[in-house]
Amino acid sequence: MIGALARMPSTLRTFGGSQVSNLVGLLIVAGALALTLQHVLQHSASFFFQILIIGIADGTIYGLIALGYTMVYGIIELINFAHGDVFTLGGYFSLALFPIFGIAEGKAGFGYVIPLLVVAAITMLLCGVVNVAIERVAYRPLRHAPRLAPLITAIGMSSILEGAMYLWRGPNSLHYPDLLPLTRFNIGPVNIGVKDLIVITFALVLVVVFTLFINLSKLGKAMRATAQDRDAAQLMGIDINRTISATFFIGAALAGAGGITWGLYISSVDPFLGFITGLIAFTAAVFGGIGNIPGAALGGLLIGLIRAFSDSYFDSSWTEVLIFGILIATLVFRPTGLLGMRVPEK
Amino acid sequence: MALLEVSGIDVFYGRVQAVRGASLTVDAGEVVALIGSNGAGKTTTLRTISGLLHPAGGKITFNGKDITRTEPQNIVHLGICQSPEGRRLFARMSVLDNLRMGAYTRKNAVEIKRDMERVFELFPRLKERSNQIAGTLSGGEQQMCAMGRALMAKPKLLMLDEPSLGLAPILVETIFNIVREINAQGTPVLLVEQNAHKALEVAHRGYVLETGVIVQTGTGKELLESEEVQRAYLGM
Repeated sequence: MIGALARMPSTLRTFGGSQVSNLVGLLIVAGALALTLQHVLQHSASFFFQILIIGIADGTIYGLIALGYTMVYGIIELINFAHGDVFTLGGYFSLALFPIFGIAEGKAGFGYVIPLLVVAAITMLLCGVVNVAIERVAYRPLRHAPRLAPLITAIGMSSILEGAMYLWRGPNSLHYPDLLPLTRFNIGPVNIGVKDLIVITFALVLVVVFTLFINLSKLGKAMRATAQDRDAAQLMGIDINRTISATFFIGAALAGAGGITWGLYISSVDPFLGFITGLIAFTAAVFGGIGNIPGAALGGLLIGLIRAFSDSYFDSSWTEVLIFGILIATLVFRPTGLLGMRVPEK
Repeated sequence: MALLEVSGIDVFYGRVQAVRGASLTVDAGEVVALIGSNGAGKTTTLRTISGLLHPAGGKITFNGKDITRTEPQNIVHLGICQSPEGRRLFARMSVLDNLRMGAYTRKNAVEIKRDMERVFELFPRLKERSNQIAGTLSGGEQQMCAMGRALMAKPKLLMLDEPSLGLAPILVETIFNIVREINAQGTPVLLVEQNAHKALEVAHRGYVLETGVIVQTGTGKELLESEEVQRAYLGM
């Protein structure tokens, strides 16, 4: 009895603190869902499924980009603002590579599968190299500087990449060749494009391979160890500079793959695409729990769905307001994100 | 020639000098204790030997090789492994993964497996908890995991920083018995401790560090009986 009384105040405190903000968060989510449901019921089911598929496709691409943000944040606690532009660079590199491999619009077929995968591999490699170089030149010398310094350099690197793409191919948006089949088919009320399926499968395979790599490979474990305790990782014999470089490389390779997927899906890229797409993917990473890898994939998917539904059921001019509202709400009500966990301190 | 030879190192944090001209040696087969109060520079000395800090002056050699400016990961490859102050486990990994990280520099899977068994013999508790997330272990279990992890590197010199800090008396006893056992199996140990009494009981030799300077040295027994040590560190 006395014990129960002694525990009371702390129970009340918990309720007064995080419980209330959880409650507010839940109310907001419930309200949004109710509103969405009302709109959904006004339209046909097939429209709903079409939007759902667009949302999933966009979401897996956001997830690919968000993984790079979250990995880099996890390991050096830096928001790599240049990451969104590395994603755009993926689109630009692949556009430049297509003619070399004889890929052009209008002749799409199975013969393109291999060259397309080769282009994807080279693009991922190039994006990786660029990001590793950025880390080496712009972030590593500032590793012991106050946090704000590398953050500002990151914004600078972002501008430099955007400027470089602007100089390379001009300010206008570039047409990205339609290489994926445009065939559509029906499963019950669901109308799916082969293109949607290819995009979703490609992105999902990369996310799964990447997750397995992080969890099972020696380098993946070294990355997680370095993210959790850099000094301890060094004391285990891990070369942290190499590990950090590898993190930037892999994050950029995924972003580069995202750039190609985006081009194939949306059919255009422009030098500033990565700015807004990067911010949205960053929101996805925070939403899922920054530093948390499954969180980034989940956050990407959810943000993709939210964007697709907001665009089609409400008004696309409000979509960005909604998405960045989520960013702010996450930071205010649940800074650790959906899957972010509190770990007992050592 | 000593296995580890630290001669006259000066270590700074920015402009503050934490260690002043400290020299010490560890020979094969020994347990050497480095004692001193809080802030005396004990941890700084270990971090410098591990290469996390580089000395401004002086020299460190291991097996005759100069490691004064060697990077930490290469020092581990040479055979010095440390269980750091505060344990510093990988809190979100399982006990098993933490131990595996300890063997990061090693290739031979058969030997790694054998050493894993050896760690589990030393710390049966870790075997029971092998799939638990390290951050959720009790303090004593975390210390065992940190020591086990360092042993997984198969070190030629094991450095333990404050292994008994914050542990219940019965566990302190266990930890020091295990230090003895590890040493008996052939691994030299450099032990940093605030619990001077226990440390000197286990150690063959000891050094007393005061505000960054080594003020006294001798066998464990000599230091235990020394008046200054008794007054300053043993509360007698």
